[in-house]
Amino acid sequence: MKEKIKSVLVNLLKVRPEELKDDVSLQDSIGVDSTEMVESVIALEKAFGTKLSPKEVTKFSTINDIEKVISSKIGK
Amino acid sequence: MDRIAVTGIGVVAPSGIGKRQFWANIKSGRSFIKEITRFDASLYPSHIAGQIDELEKYGMLSERLLKKIDAFSHMALIASELALQDAGIDIKNEDPNLVGIFLGNAIGGWLYAETELRDMYIEGREGVSPYMASAWFPAAPQGQVSIYYGIKGFSKTIVADRAGSLMALGYARKVLSKNKLNMILAGGTEAPVTPYSLLCCNTYGMLSKNNVHPQSAYRPFDKKRDGFVIGEGAGIVVMEGVERAKSRKASILAYISGYGTSCDGVDRIQPASDGKELARAIRIALTDAKASPEQIDYISLDGLAVNIWDESELKAVKEVFGARLKDIPVSCPKSMFGNLLGASGAIDMITTILGMEHGMVAPMINLDEPASNGLNYVLNHAKPHNIGKALIISRGRGGINSALVIEKA
Repeated sequence: MKEKIKSVLVNLLKVRPEELKDDVSLQDSIGVDSTEMVESVIALEKAFGTKLSPKEVTKFSTINDIEKVISSKIGK
Repeated sequence: MDRIAVTGIGVVAPSGIGKRQFWANIKSGRSFIKEITRFDASLYPSHIAGQIDELEKYGMLSERLLKKIDAFSHMALIASELALQDAGIDIKNEDPNLVGIFLGNAIGGWLYAETELRDMYIEGREGVSPYMASAWFPAAPQGQVSIYYGIKGFSKTIVADRAGSLMALGYARKVLSKNKLNMILAGGTEAPVTPYSLLCCNTYGMLSKNNVHPQSAYRPFDKKRDGFVIGEGAGIVVMEGVERAKSRKASILAYISGYGTSCDGVDRIQPASDGKELARAIRIALTDAKASPEQIDYISLDGLAVNIWDESELKAVKEVFGARLKDIPVSCPKSMFGNLLGASGAIDMITTILGMEHGMVAPMINLDEPASNGLNYVLNHAKPHNIGKALIISRGRGGINSALVIEKA
């Protein structure tokens, strides 16, 4: 799942895969802005077929955090 | 008011990107008007334009940024970078609070907006890029340039139809002469070669329909004129106080010394047919520049290639310059690459400055049989002529008149 999350973000935000670190926040790793976060949440919702609230996935989330939230939603 | 120095030029135009390529093409009188290839425009009454292909090739911008901005911001960023390089300015060494951006634009960023609006109607609101809101509006390029360079000083976007960029240059000079800023990136940007923009420009009713002969379609002041041709691009210059430019040993390319503007106040689209208000704007600019009409030795005309616009413009210059007009070289180089609307005045000033630098006047093309005689048109090839003081005219719908006086450095 981690790889799928990364690939969604890489394709969407046009960043290099190695810039995304599992345990560093999106803000600290790639300096994501609030509009990019809106876009990311929508893209992750589409990719995983679930609803995410903007509070659950923020720019302070790490890839590990996002994985936890999505796992709990889709029960995997 | 003080003269202000122009120390760097950034040009992104159908005739070339960067001042050398642009000037080389301009002086030879080559037309860059072509059939539109970006999308199928064949059913539009006018489907020719000055297009810029492969903009990405010249970019220093990341894909991550490019997906958030429209072409008109992209072109403004490239033109800004070229202008700063030309001026030898590293923006990191500037006080960001004392750097400003003054840009003209007429229509906004529609290539971005159109595709997102289509997605909204097909996919619903979640189909729209969240960048749409900040990508399309006329002040977006100002914002993007300020973010890219960390510029934080007083800045403005001027929307005044085709007169916007000449006005931006005039206001930038005013701000600099009051010592409010150290330097300004000033000019204009426009990207009208998109399906909806082209539709609006067609509805406007003043575009040439000579699609069969794109290169000879834009014919300012010619008897067989049938309207103008749109073009896309950006023209941005670095402006700074003369003392500052000299103290940093910058190469001063020209001085902006006078600016004037007026409104016709007669019709929502057309200008006044008598040209009197345009003549008044020209006189205001001359007075501001402490120049007499006798001192002007080149006029860059607006040249819309529409009867009432061309005729009223000629009435205005005849009124101001009288019998001497026949001796002053005049030109309208945009006949080669299209009317860049809200960037047209800035491109005209840049062309004039390049002419000053090379001791030449840039030509106009397609003027086979002048509708009015008594003018010294420079036709088809650049002509050797030393421009000392030049007048640049730029006008917009609804009777917006603007005039700028520049001097050779």
